[in-house]
Amino acid sequence: MKFGKLLIALLSVTFLFSFNGCSKKDNGPIKIGVILPLTGSKAKFGAMEKNSYELAKAEINAKGGINGRKIDFAYEDDTGKPDVGRAAAEKLINVDKVPMLAGGYSSSVTFAAAAVAQQYKTPFLVNTGSVDKITQPAAFNLTVDDGAKFYIYRMNPPVSEYASGLETLLSEVVKPASVFLIHENTTFGTKGAKSFAKTAAKLGIKVLGNESYSSGTVDFKPILLNAKKLKPDMVYMISYVMDAAMLMKQARELNFKPNLYVGAGAGFTMPAFKNNAGKASEGVFSATLWHQTLPIPGAKEFFDNYVKKYAGAGPDYHGAEAYSAAYVVADVLKRCKGDYSKENIKTALDATDMMTAFGPVKFTSYGEKIHQNKMTTYVVQWQDGSLKLVWPKNLANAPIVYPIDYNKIWK
Amino acid sequence: MEIFLQSLISGLLVGGLYAIIGLGMSLIMGVLKIINLAHGQLMMVAMYISWSAWNYLGVDPYLSVIFSVPLTFYLAKFLSKYLLNPLIEKDSILPENQVLMTVGIGMVLVELARFLFTSDYRSVQTSYTGQAWDLGGISISIPLLIAFLVSLLLTAGLFYLLRNTDLGRSIRATAQDRLAASLMGVSAEKITILTYGIGSALIAAAGTFFLPIFYLYPDVGPEFTAKAFVITILGGLGSTVGAITGGIVLALAETFGATYLSSGYRDAYGLVIFLLVLVFLPGGLKSLTKV
Repeated sequence: MKFGKLLIALLSVTFLFSFNGCSKKDNGPIKIGVILPLTGSKAKFGAMEKNSYELAKAEINAKGGINGRKIDFAYEDDTGKPDVGRAAAEKLINVDKVPMLAGGYSSSVTFAAAAVAQQYKTPFLVNTGSVDKITQPAAFNLTVDDGAKFYIYRMNPPVSEYASGLETLLSEVVKPASVFLIHENTTFGTKGAKSFAKTAAKLGIKVLGNESYSSGTVDFKPILLNAKKLKPDMVYMISYVMDAAMLMKQARELNFKPNLYVGAGAGFTMPAFKNNAGKASEGVFSATLWHQTLPIPGAKEFFDNYVKKYAGAGPDYHGAEAYSAAYVVADVLKRCKGDYSKENIKTALDATDMMTAFGPVKFTSYGEKIHQNKMTTYVVQWQDGSLKLVWPKNLANAPIVYPIDYNKIWK
Repeated sequence: MEIFLQSLISGLLVGGLYAIIGLGMSLIMGVLKIINLAHGQLMMVAMYISWSAWNYLGVDPYLSVIFSVPLTFYLAKFLSKYLLNPLIEKDSILPENQVLMTVGIGMVLVELARFLFTSDYRSVQTSYTGQAWDLGGISISIPLLIAFLVSLLLTAGLFYLLRNTDLGRSIRATAQDRLAASLMGVSAEKITILTYGIGSALIAAAGTFFLPIFYLYPDVGPEFTAKAFVITILGGLGSTVGAITGGIVLALAETFGATYLSSGYRDAYGLVIFLLVLVFLPGGLKSLTKV
């Protein structure tokens, strides 16, 4: 009996040590946590981002990895829900013991996960979640001078800047007098609409109405009718992909013809938007953060390699964000020189200054934000079933089609 | 006035669609006395069957109802016979466990769909998708109109089945009192399985006729499970007429709320009606019509 107890005690001690041994192993892959919506209604975007992370991982590891060690991403599914996102971040930090987090798709989920990362002092490189407050220390009870205590970094521009490229297009070419805003009733949609209303005020465009809806709505006609009645020059929509397609399909059914339809990125740049909206997608403009034909080194290669590996219509800016975030992570880890502690990674993140397939990445402070990468945004337009970069003019690969002849393209 | 008429017509048409979604749920809830939380997921399965028939075989989405309805019917009969019924038989198992079982079934169906079709959004493109009649400035979506007419047909069909056939009488008997029905020679087990099958076949028809209007992805179901549940409570358990009025009431509340108040709270208007019905008319609209 005594012998048995002793054996169990011995075994459990060995067990403890064997666990300890795992973390001591210095040549295994360096594991970084990635939070993405892999199931749920945003799973399509999550899958694209995961594919892009995997593509980057394969390339980085083929080129020698991180100072001889391989990089590995531990994915955790946030299902598009903030509470699940919180749990995912906690699991990655406390169970998987990752020294750094990346990913973050929906604004609300990313913000919830960021709070966890901040609590456990774990650096979090956000690549898609776009609500402004994610990089505003005030939202985490810190001030802009608390950079040393703030662990959140963001590579993509905040939602308030999504339309910055669009601004010049509107003021120089289109000059609309009025706009109607339609947005989904989420953090991303509401904040995006608010900041566009500010932009509109600056440009002297009158906001005729501002309607929200919940994602997955079957019937958008009440909103579109209210909009049609007011005869706006422009309709500005902040929607994910299938709502975007439904909006345009039903706008066509109602014969609602403003001078232009503009989407605020998100769904409007995805191939699935065109496939599902069909003819109704023609002529629609969208702000975008990235396009494969931009003169950014690596952008075209990324697009082609993605299509080669995963087939299909290829990635949009979400894919480029994830792919480039993986490269930023690799660059940061390389500069850690073997010490992959959270503090060391944070110091390396602060010093980031690199070029990615998504554009230059450098974390700066401005306004109420710190650790925020500043980027240019662009305008694309659906022309004959393909997405063309139309603005800014010096980078464009197709002339703008404007004014739009709906009788021809909606036929 | 134009906006009012357009909202009314949109609401009515969408209501027809909601009605077919609610019909199956109402039937199943009436007989099995459980909330079928796999309801929307079964609709998703039918939508994938129709989509596959359209995409791979070139079958018109409306015609593909000849695949989606029987396949979903047999799938549901299988699920009910081997997964749900064994739980009914055992007295020691609480009825809640059947509800949990439907949750499990739903999850497995969603993940199977994700495995087979990935998370991509799908939709069908036909000559009539996005077509609309213009009636003096009021647009009537043709696929929605077709779905509305089909829902009227299905409701009438189910009404006839329940009222005037032996099978219907057996179903109603089982719904009223399972034990008494068995004593009268009705095989309650068979009827239960069959009811789950018929309820699922109805939701399959809903899915197929919904496909040209909406889109499809593995997680499309849960929202419609919730809608079906609200419609069932509005209409009253096991009532066909209740289901169609419940569907239309829900859709009209949503549409008018969205038009005249704010579209951001669209789902809330339906739930307000739901609460009012629970408080003032606990038996649902059925308690007014008695059918």
